[in-house]
Amino acid sequence: MKAPFLSFDAQSLIKELGDFNTKFIKGVGALTEIDEIDVGTAPKELIYAEDKLKLYRYSRNDPNTCSTPVLIVYALVNRQYMLDLQPDRSMIRNMLDHGLDVFIIDWGYPSKVDMYLGLDDYVNGYIDNCVDVVRDIAQSEQVNLMGICQGGTFSMMYSALNPDKVKNLITLVAPVDFSTNDALLFNWSKYLNIDALVESYQVIPGDFMNGGFLMLMPFNLNIRKYVDMLDVIEDKEKLLNFLRMEKWIFDSPGQAGACIREFIKYCYQENRLAKGELMLGDKLVDLRNITMPLLNIYASGDHLVPPAAIKPLNDLVGSQDKTLYEFKGGHIGVFVGSKSQKELAPAISQWLHDRDSAPESVAETAEESESAGIETAPEEAPESTSKKPGRRKA
Amino acid sequence: MENTQSYFETWLKAQEKLFDGLIENTKRTQQLFINQQYPGFSGDAGGFSNPYSSWMSAVMKSLSEPGINNQVIKDNLSRIFGGSNAYTKLYEVWLPLMKAAQERSVNPEAYKEYIDPSKYKELIDKVFGFDSEATKLMLNQAVQFLELLSGSGQQFTAPWVNAMKESLGAFPQLAQGHPESFMNMFHSMFNAFDNTVGKVFHVPPVGRDREKLELILRCFDDLSVYAAKNTEYQHTIYITGLTAMDKVVERLAEKITSGEEIKQFDEFFDIWIDTSEQAYYKLFKTEEFAKLQGELLDTSLDVKAHFFKLMESHLSDLPIALRSEMDDLYKTVYDLKKSVKKLEKQLKENAQ
Repeated sequence: MKAPFLSFDAQSLIKELGDFNTKFIKGVGALTEIDEIDVGTAPKELIYAEDKLKLYRYSRNDPNTCSTPVLIVYALVNRQYMLDLQPDRSMIRNMLDHGLDVFIIDWGYPSKVDMYLGLDDYVNGYIDNCVDVVRDIAQSEQVNLMGICQGGTFSMMYSALNPDKVKNLITLVAPVDFSTNDALLFNWSKYLNIDALVESYQVIPGDFMNGGFLMLMPFNLNIRKYVDMLDVIEDKEKLLNFLRMEKWIFDSPGQAGACIREFIKYCYQENRLAKGELMLGDKLVDLRNITMPLLNIYASGDHLVPPAAIKPLNDLVGSQDKTLYEFKGGHIGVFVGSKSQKELAPAISQWLHDRDSAPESVAETAEESESAGIETAPEEAPESTSKKPGRRKA
Repeated sequence: MENTQSYFETWLKAQEKLFDGLIENTKRTQQLFINQQYPGFSGDAGGFSNPYSSWMSAVMKSLSEPGINNQVIKDNLSRIFGGSNAYTKLYEVWLPLMKAAQERSVNPEAYKEYIDPSKYKELIDKVFGFDSEATKLMLNQAVQFLELLSGSGQQFTAPWVNAMKESLGAFPQLAQGHPESFMNMFHSMFNAFDNTVGKVFHVPPVGRDREKLELILRCFDDLSVYAAKNTEYQHTIYITGLTAMDKVVERLAEKITSGEEIKQFDEFFDIWIDTSEQAYYKLFKTEEFAKLQGELLDTSLDVKAHFFKLMESHLSDLPIALRSEMDDLYKTVYDLKKSVKKLEKQLKENAQ
């Protein structure tokens, strides 16, 4: 096909390039004026430490309205302060404002001495110890466990092994079924010689993980993002918002060799968790032992953990009260997007409040959740149900 | 009067020195910021990137100076530089096409004659972080080492060859009844032996050195396997990049046919980013690519593993802890910690 005459104007193009470089030069100036990039500023108190792990309790000005504390288990591959990136985009602050007593695990930065830590150590060791500490400090028999991404997968494992300690389970963009090829990481992991990788590095460097994440969208993440950034570079607040995200993206901890070996091999490559074949220590992780209420949240546009890897959890657990919640957004937007702040944190809070008191009938719980706009569709509703649960279009 | 004259002469000379210094500094500054081949003043827009690149290099060098303490800022400046560099490089790649389009209609099938593939390759290298110089350097070292080895082989055989030649020269004398030629032959053969096989008796024990040599050869072998696999990987990336560029031109042509105009470079940049991202996503989703990537990683890890073993072998005589020794220690620490924690937990439960 012959294209007609293309109306390019050399002078305007040169001007455009010149303008671009002017923005860039101004941007360099703006960047050099910034001293500090503050993240994770919600006040919190260190209440427990073990090896590199730190457990924090977020400070409240008023008493919590939900008696059962929330313990957040974040993934190992990134830092947990994503949930409190900046004051106006903080799921943590939002949850605190909605009356929740929030605890969070900071996994720290593994070093070579941690290379032999495996899944069993993280789930049955660290998480179990943190749960006991939270129960003790909050004077509560149980905790609400909220797991994010890989932390959600760990939370599922923990809840299956210790259902008596977990009152409610929330999993946020947490993969359980790794048989899908809907996302590149899932596809690539199948050909990853994780034994050789761990043998070579022992603690997989954060930069290595970042390299993999950037390869998912190399043009957008390596070029466009930084070119577009020049449009906001003169606005200090927007620039700081950008830099906070950048700080988080590239602040990736190393991964303890044994743990990542097991996670990739047993989950990504052999899908043992979904198949009911995963052993942690001498215990079998059977997801049917998860009988507490479950809120399973997925992001419809998630390119890292696709919905197909998340949704099956609702069919694998033994819970009667289980909710599948669709958030329209991406993997990161689910934490820091403005929509997330307005929609997700309040919904989570309401869902937990509804299940905070002594065990009720599923129908009453569903009715209260409906008022918060959350779909609750138990597989087997008791006969005493007077009102049918509503269905929320996310 | 003489003093006044010499005063003025001194003052004049001082002024001359000052101006010479100023001129010298200005020249140095110009050289720093302006490429000497820069045709920018002649109006060629393609040369615009040269002073820009030089200026940016100067800025980036200054980032290593104390003053910017924030690593996130430094890293971000570096990435912004990379992004804008790619933006400018794309402009350079596209410029000949634009110039041709100003003069006549552009045939999308024939656009390739205007695109410089080497410049486009540089752009793809920037996106994917390929460093062909590093691999070249390592391969050159491997080649030099192998030449050294084969040279050693030649050195081993050369004395024998020379001895044979001399011995052949002695035969006629022997035939003529000169017994001393026997001694000459004997000396010649002995010297050949001493310069070659005899050296073996002077070398250190073969065991560890032989191991090191084998490891070195293994490293270079792994390196060549890695280089071959890396070439295959990069080739796949480049081919996809060219396919993406084809699609970009097609999309441009479609837009113009439908009545739209591309007035700003930014629009072209957006089209290029979107089209390239889609093309690479399609590649990345294939099993073949996943397998190739896995194989590439494997080969690189082989190089790393044998190189580390070689390092350990070299460092084993020094008073430092080796990695393999530390691994044992970490395992012991891990096992002990686990036991202690288990016991502490049991004690706590018993106390309750």
